[in-house]
This record gives sequence, structure tokens and C-alpha cells, in this order.
Amino acid sequence: MSQIKTIHNPIGSLERFLDLLLISLIVYMTLKGGTSGACAACKYQRRRCAADCPLAPYFPAEQPKLFQNVHRLFGVRSIVKILENLDELQRPEAMKSIIFQSYVRDRNPVHGCLGITQQLQYMIWVAEEELKAVNSQLQLYRSGQNHPMMIHEIGEKQEDLDLGMGLPVNNNNQGNNTIPFFSPVSETQQQQPHMSYCSDQVNNHDYNPIPDSCKEVLNNHNTSLAWGQNQFPYNHHNYGFINQNEHCSETKNNNSVMAIQSQLVNLQMASNQQEEEVDDQNYDEIHQFLEIIDESQSFTETKEVYASSSGESLKEPIDEIGEKELRRAATCFSLTSVN
Amino acid sequence: MSSSSYSNYTNSPCAACKFLRRKCSSDCVFAPYFPPEEPLKFANVHRIFGASNVSKILHEVAPHQREDAVNSLAYEAEARLKDPVYGCVGAISVLQREVLRLQRELEETNNDLMRYASCLGGETSAYGGRRG
Repeated sequence: MSQIKTIHNPIGSLERFLDLLLISLIVYMTLKGGTSGACAACKYQRRRCAADCPLAPYFPAEQPKLFQNVHRLFGVRSIVKILENLDELQRPEAMKSIIFQSYVRDRNPVHGCLGITQQLQYMIWVAEEELKAVNSQLQLYRSGQNHPMMIHEIGEKQEDLDLGMGLPVNNNNQGNNTIPFFSPVSETQQQQPHMSYCSDQVNNHDYNPIPDSCKEVLNNHNTSLAWGQNQFPYNHHNYGFINQNEHCSETKNNNSVMAIQSQLVNLQMASNQQEEEVDDQNYDEIHQFLEIIDESQSFTETKEVYASSSGESLKEPIDEIGEKELRRAATCFSLTSVN
Repeated sequence: MSSSSYSNYTNSPCAACKFLRRKCSSDCVFAPYFPPEEPLKFANVHRIFGASNVSKILHEVAPHQREDAVNSLAYEAEARLKDPVYGCVGAISVLQREVLRLQRELEETNNDLMRYASCLGGETSAYGGRRG
């Protein structure tokens, strides 16, 4: 009996050893990127994900939607070609911008990033107009202080004038009117292309939509704004963002007295809310891909502003901002003539 | 040269069909948006996005939105060709920074205005008191 026991024990331990070996092999294969560890790109294309797969670093398997967006807009061949022409250091940044662009196109199939660009230019215009108005009021006050008798007249005006609608702002809380906040890029990489394509139907307004500050900023990078100038369908007299584009036509009915600051914050909140509606899991990690480019040291602020997970941190400031802005706007616009 | 099989908008094939060297049929999806006078427009879009992707996008959007979609794609394609790393996203970040800068400036200016307004409020009540 004891002899049989001694024979069985080595076999049992050998079996256990083989089991352990098999398990460790399976785990190793999984970690190495075997069939169950393929990147999202290879999974989508149903092919084996090689160890040197060029897309694997940018498309983790847990986020298939990211790759689907990119594939739908650019296609694998185009991305690989773009990556091949870039340095190693530039590739992560390029992929981030490609993923962002595809994400935006998925959210807004008609306008994509151009829609965001136009919205931002509009916001800049609104902010500049508001700044001009506030500065002119400041001038009034300052001149009133130099001439004390005028203070009385200004005070009377303040009581008499009704609060108007004030400057139009684009309260983009509907539909696809959200601006994902892309972190700033390196100073050396900013270029603005010369664009020449425009729709004749859109280019039917006289108002030059490009704010001076915007022009200056973009012209500093030796570019022209032919595209933007032709594509800016502002109707100055209605103070609205009148556009043939659907998403903007919704917003012209949403003028409010909220200033640009709360508008921007609302946009981000709406963006966060919309993201929650669509598919949180796939887009949760997109913020990782929108990290600061090159100037990596100091942009934790902007990350916090953008991250949907930090929605709580935005709540209090947003409430304060909303109240402050209303109060400010009320004071500000009480002295402006109603246009 | 037979023109009957060419695009229904012009007698010559659209820029897309010219580029792809194929017959421009009467129901060519590209023809209304890629006129033959702008060959570069389609060339750029094709280089970055590919004709089939563009065709799919056009079929996904409503007909009245297709022109805007094509123009935005052309813009993005040209931006990507000029700046392969950031494309049009570079411009977005520039504009976002500008918005933030203006926001800050507006806040500071409004704070100044509030200060003046509060001073004025005190003086106005003094004047109002005298008048009443």
C-alpha cells in the first residue's frame, strides 16, 4: 500500500505542475496580446494583433468606439500613412488629434471640427463685443468721477433704462452644440491653414465674423483665414448665429443675458451631460488622449475643466459664476441702449 | 466625346470622377459638391479620408446638409495636409485659449465696473435723498 502511495504522489504532483504550467502559459499569452488581448484596431479588423502593431498603443481593447470613429472617418490605411510620415515623438500627438477629430465628427457628422471652430470664433466675437461695452461703461464711470455732476445723471439713467437682452450668446445646450475641450497644443505646432472652400449659400452676410483679436492670434502663425471669413454666417443685426447648419439655427433662439464665461461653462457641462447620455464607458478614457501636448507641465487646470469625471468640482463654481454673471450683466446692460 | 453619361450638372465629369478616372454618372454622389473647377478639393479629401469614407458620410447625412459636410471635410483635409500632427485641432486649441483669455479679461473689467457701480450707487442715493 505504501508503495502504491509513493507511486501516485509523484504523478499527482506532476499533474498539478502541468496544470500550473498551462495556467501560467494562458496568462502569459493573454498578457502578450494573444487573440484575447488584441488591440481595438485588430479586434475590429478581426486579425491577429502583432507585437509591433502600430495602432495598438493608441487603441486599447477596452475602447472599441474610439477606433470605430477613427476608422469611419480616416480609415486604417490613411492613419498608418500619416503615422509613417511622422517622427516617433510626433505620433502620439498626431493620434490624439486624429482621435479627437473623429470623436467630434461622430458627435456632429455634418460640421465636425469646423463647427467647433465657428462656435469658438463666435464666442470670441461675443466676448469682444461685451468687453467693448463694458469698457465703454467704465469710461463713462471714470469720466463721471472726474466730473461729479455727471454721476447724478448716470444714476438717473440707470434707474430709467430697462434691462435689455444684452449681447447675444450662444447657449448651446441643445443637440450637438457642445465643444469638447481640447487641451492647448505646443506653441511650435500651431498653424492655421489657408482655406478657400466655401458655400455660396452660406456666404451671404456682410458682417466680418473674424474678431480682431482672433485674427491677430491666428495670423501670428503666418496663416490666412479665407475659409473662416467666407464661412461665417453671422447676421449682425439679429445678433444671432444664423447659419444654414441645423445645430446653430437652434441656438439663435436661445439668447440670454448670461455672459461668455457661464456660456463656456455651460457648454462644457452640456458636453459632459451629453457624454453621459451617449456611451460613458467608451468615452471615459478619451480625456487621457486629449492630454496636453508638449507643454505637459502646467495644464492640469485645463484637464480638470474638461474631465467629465470632475463634474462635481465644477458644480459650485458654476453656480457662483451663474449668479455673478447675472448680476454683472444686469449692471452692465442697464446703461447700454437697447439695440 | 459623349456627354450623355456625364454628370447632370455639367458636361464634364465632376472632380471626383476625374480624379478616380471613372464615368461620372447622373446620380454621382460627389458631383454636386466637387465641381471640376476645384480638383484640389477632392484630391485633398481623398488623400486624407478616402472616397469611400466620404461617400458613406454623405449617405449618412441629409441631402440638404451634404454641402456643409463636404465643406467641413475639405477644411479638415486641407488642415491635416498642412499640419499632419494637429490638423484643424490646432486651430481649435488656439481659439479656446483666446476664449479663456477674453473670459479673464472680461471678468476683471466687470469687477472694475462693479466697483464703480457700487460707488455710484452710494452717491446716487445721496443725490436722490437731496432731491426728495
